[in-house]
Amino acid sequence: MTKQGRVQGVRGSRVQAALTPRERFGLLVIDEPQDRVPVYPLVTSHAAFVASMKLQEYCTRGRSMARAQLTAQEQYGHDFISIFSEVGIIAEALGSGFEYPDDDLPVLRRPRLNSVAEVPLLAEPDAITAGRFPVYYEAIEYAYEAVGDRVPILAFVPAPFTTALHLVNGEEFLLALTLKPESAHELLDRVTEVTIGFLREIVNHGALPMLVDPLASGSVISPRTYRDFALPPERRLIDFLHRYDLDITLHICGDTMLMLPLLKETGADLVSLDHVDLDEARRVIGDSQRLIGNFDTSRLLFKSPAIIEQEVRAMTKTGAASPKGFVAATGCEVPVRTPPENVRAFIRGARPKSE
Amino acid sequence: MSFSDPVPARITFPEWGRLFEQIPTDLIQQYHYFRKQAVVRGARVPEFERIADCGTRAAEWPWSTYLFPPQTFAIYGSRHLRRLKFDNSLAALRMWGFVMNETERLFRARQIGKRVIATMGDLGGTPPMVLAAGNTVPFYPDCIWWVPFTNESTVLFDAAAAMGIGESACYSRAALGAFAKRSYFPDPALCIGATGASCDDYSSVEQLVAGMGYPVFWFELPLRKDAGPGSCEAFACTPAGTEYQTAARELLVAQFERLRRELSKALDCEITEAALNASIRQVNEIRRRIRHIREMVHSAPAMVFPAPEMMVLEFGNLHFYSDISEWQAILEHVEQTIEQRLARCDYLGPTDALRVVWVTPPADPLLLVFAEDLGLRVVGTEYVINQALSEIPEDREPITALAENLLNASLVGSSCARAQSVIDQAREYQAEGVVISGILGGSHCAFETRLIEEYVSRELDLPVLAFDVPAPAPAVSSQVRTRLEAFAELLRARRE
Repeated sequence: MTKQGRVQGVRGSRVQAALTPRERFGLLVIDEPQDRVPVYPLVTSHAAFVASMKLQEYCTRGRSMARAQLTAQEQYGHDFISIFSEVGIIAEALGSGFEYPDDDLPVLRRPRLNSVAEVPLLAEPDAITAGRFPVYYEAIEYAYEAVGDRVPILAFVPAPFTTALHLVNGEEFLLALTLKPESAHELLDRVTEVTIGFLREIVNHGALPMLVDPLASGSVISPRTYRDFALPPERRLIDFLHRYDLDITLHICGDTMLMLPLLKETGADLVSLDHVDLDEARRVIGDSQRLIGNFDTSRLLFKSPAIIEQEVRAMTKTGAASPKGFVAATGCEVPVRTPPENVRAFIRGARPKSE
Repeated sequence: MSFSDPVPARITFPEWGRLFEQIPTDLIQQYHYFRKQAVVRGARVPEFERIADCGTRAAEWPWSTYLFPPQTFAIYGSRHLRRLKFDNSLAALRMWGFVMNETERLFRARQIGKRVIATMGDLGGTPPMVLAAGNTVPFYPDCIWWVPFTNESTVLFDAAAAMGIGESACYSRAALGAFAKRSYFPDPALCIGATGASCDDYSSVEQLVAGMGYPVFWFELPLRKDAGPGSCEAFACTPAGTEYQTAARELLVAQFERLRRELSKALDCEITEAALNASIRQVNEIRRRIRHIREMVHSAPAMVFPAPEMMVLEFGNLHFYSDISEWQAILEHVEQTIEQRLARCDYLGPTDALRVVWVTPPADPLLLVFAEDLGLRVVGTEYVINQALSEIPEDREPITALAENLLNASLVGSSCARAQSVIDQAREYQAEGVVISGILGGSHCAFETRLIEEYVSRELDLPVLAFDVPAPAPAVSSQVRTRLEAFAELLRARRE
């Protein structure tokens, strides 16, 4: 060791110890290069399948949901924990009736409202105890205590447009967007308030909220409808979370190609894309947002591991060129009964071959 | 845009969550880091002068806000925050947000072209010179030792172990893990590694850092001797009253001269005497303010600002949490808050709290919270960083001034001198006991604890509680808990 007034010379490349998922994500959100692209097959209810758990148990018991998530993360080694069952959770807290099949996801049976004109009938749910909110909180707490120092805990929260479609009959709500827009806005405002209460508790419990608005998809509504009805509440929720300096992901399912320019207006820090051309998304989004996406989940379910690995590698190469950063992910949730070897193939494809 | 501090109290994590909702968004947007920059005569100057239109540049950097609640940092992995208690003032929130945000700030510094310099092992001695180089951000990787505790995590210790330093070394080994990870701070443009009369555990960390390929400039610290009987060396005193052999000062002056040349070369700049003087003035302003805050808090009739916050403040003297100007503004805010509380007799605890001097920083802030919950009140500290509390002389040549100031350091002197500092504070603030929280694996703690205990007992007849801080955990260990409880009982019994 030389000490006498000299600077010790640089010896080749420096050591880079393996990063934890949290360290990797931390670098991504402050615009620093990571050791590799973060990998995130959207493992949600599929975790129950991995943990040999009935979906009813997964969706209704927080500790079980967390245990399944931890099991899946341990087996696959992906970079995020997902606290999520399905998108009805806020509608349920507001009074919509759901049924819980033994081994399937909850099903909406009775929307709370018959029409958007009934908005005043909506009660004020308790943000701590209503519906299955406590299931989420328990799941977050359990996962956070277990791996919160190493793995980011994402809590999926349905955005108001999607929740509204679980409070009123879908057709009725979509018609109201044209025929009774004031009432539709009133409903969305109300749902936004309730969602903010839910977000606040999620933040207090230690999870990073991720907004999901699957029914605001281009496969369901036009860009104009999205701009007028879905985007404003999304923006409000993101503004609320930005008060905490949180990096927020917005996920929209399906084909959002025509909505890409509007996604920038949401203020989301990361956008999770499904059926879009990644090259084109990169061009439109530019350096304003980080991209998450977007492997086709039907291919994940049905193709062979070799094909999946090859296609994910190609996707990752394309996505990694995003100027603001990229997370190699599936375009939507990993289907519940996806063969685990396919998910492993996805992860192999998204990671460098040397790993 | 208004927010009034509530009635002073120590509040929990969820309570800060609720209080934060009352803070207007405009107020959050008001506080930024790296905002006080100026271009003078075509070149960036060091951030010595307060710039009037400080908000101008900040608006360009939306990432530079920092007034966020503990919830934000807990979500990003600082799990311990959920178990702490906090002062409920806006100034305290601002301080916590700024401190917890430091990792991002260091990376942003590099992104906007500042030169990030790792100062290591000298505990406050070299940053004034680094700042004088201009457009620089000095920081202490040593301070990463808090991270395993705030995160309740062994991630950095595991990484250090993989690099060759395991549990036999003190918690500062976390810094080695951070160097290996390259995700806690950007690769420094230069590392200044103190050796000699420094922490030997950390010195071994520095050597391994050099072995990893980081450019390390070695900076030798001399041992400070007391003038014993029959000593034939020449001795002098620092303005703070610390006696030292003049040869030690000469060695340090030479070290600072070498450092000045190295920084000039590495950063391609000239470190002028004027810049050094300006840097010293700004650092002194901060040190004066912290001394004032300490005096107000320790001499108050009751707790006026909690011990965890005070510890964070004291450590801010080392490198100003990577933005000296904003740190200065935060200190002003804290100082005003405390002055107001004192003027109104607004306290956070009873006037009959048990007064203790705390020796060696408890790596685990939960220990201070627990002690305050038990009715203890910290009225003096010896955190091994007292050289960063004393002002650098402004009436002499700056390099000599820096050298003399560094000779006040606890770490370069004898255990006896350190014990004397504890005794002096205990006398001044009528302490009823002394708590020494040793650092597991810290080799100086092993022998020094017993010596300090002995000196204090002999001089003051005060009870001393000494224990090693256990490894990171979600709760205070039952053994430490029991010992602190028993100590509080003992102090109460001595009053009767």
